[in-house]
Amino acid sequence: MTVALINASPKVKGSSSGILLNDLKACLGTKVDIEEICLRTSKLTAEIIEQLKKADTWVVAFPLYVDSLPSHLLACLKQLEKMTWKNKNLNVYGIANCGFYEGNQAEPALNVLKNWCAKAGCAYKGSLGIGGGGAIAVSGNTSAKAGPRANIFKAMKKFADRIVKKEGEVNKYATVAFPRFIYKIAAQNSWRKMIKANGGKKRDLNRRLDTYLEGSTN
Amino acid sequence: MKLILTDIEDFDFEIEGEHKVINPQGNIKNCIGCFGCWAKTPGECVIHDGYERTSLDMGLCDEMIIVSECYYGTVSPFVKAAQDRAISYVQGDFIIRNGEMHHKHRYTNHFKLSAHFYGEDITEDEKKTAKDIIEGNAENFDADFEGVYFYKSKDELKGLKL
Repeated sequence: MTVALINASPKVKGSSSGILLNDLKACLGTKVDIEEICLRTSKLTAEIIEQLKKADTWVVAFPLYVDSLPSHLLACLKQLEKMTWKNKNLNVYGIANCGFYEGNQAEPALNVLKNWCAKAGCAYKGSLGIGGGGAIAVSGNTSAKAGPRANIFKAMKKFADRIVKKEGEVNKYATVAFPRFIYKIAAQNSWRKMIKANGGKKRDLNRRLDTYLEGSTN
Repeated sequence: MKLILTDIEDFDFEIEGEHKVINPQGNIKNCIGCFGCWAKTPGECVIHDGYERTSLDMGLCDEMIIVSECYYGTVSPFVKAAQDRAISYVQGDFIIRNGEMHHKHRYTNHFKLSAHFYGEDITEDEKKTAKDIIEGNAENFDADFEGVYFYKSKDELKGLKL
């Protein structure tokens, strides 16, 4: 059994999707062969297509953008739909990483992947919708078994079992292992730190672009 | 102002009143997930390819209409890239609305949101997903959901008055 772990985050490094796939890889262990694939742009290379063809199971991990899939992933899926996946017994799973606390806000996006499977002739086997994605990115170097990703890791272990057994199930959802109000405060703090690091001021975070542009031309 | 976001290059539909059309004019770059539009140049995407200020157009509109090919129950890559690059319509900070987490508003407008999807074989599942996604967009932008409409081809859109 060969599993393609497909990181569809456009980020070059430090993506939450990549961290989640690493956790899944750890859960899958040596039970399967793994092909690691990055989809960062709208165009698929011949090398990526070859890697995808080697696998009988795909796990597509992506960040939730505007309630749906990132644009480049949609473009890639369109190219892939036209290829012949039918009769290949290809199983497809998804991992949606949602910046909001509630992982189930990713459900419509996961249904896009499900609808793609129906058109491409693959079996959609269910997904994991992960909430609190912002905390995953900053927890990358910590153990997945404890800390912010503890709940997610538990769900990931079950998800890995399903993949190995080629089981199909409805989508499951998990979120970071701390309360919503703390996640909200942590996010606010991180934006303030980030704007300062970029040479801006805290008050710039809520600036209206029209007012700002008017001020800069006067 | 009506804001029309569409993947149709030669968009020449009848539009009533003041409006702006965002459609393919050269290649659009995809969002790179850098959050620069929230925490470096707030309100504006850091990629300068002509599509960096869509969020401002959203902030100035009272109605947003999406006209897009249907891709598995969502919008096409062009429309999606424009949407992804316009997340600074809202701020990075979170608020809780109707029991769910959403982003805080940057602008004070409140717009109506509708979508017209075209495509040869849009399935019932795709229609359901498309409705869920546009409703989700409306919820996230605190906009009024005005409906989703489906057409069997681009030609069937002819005569559409916006």
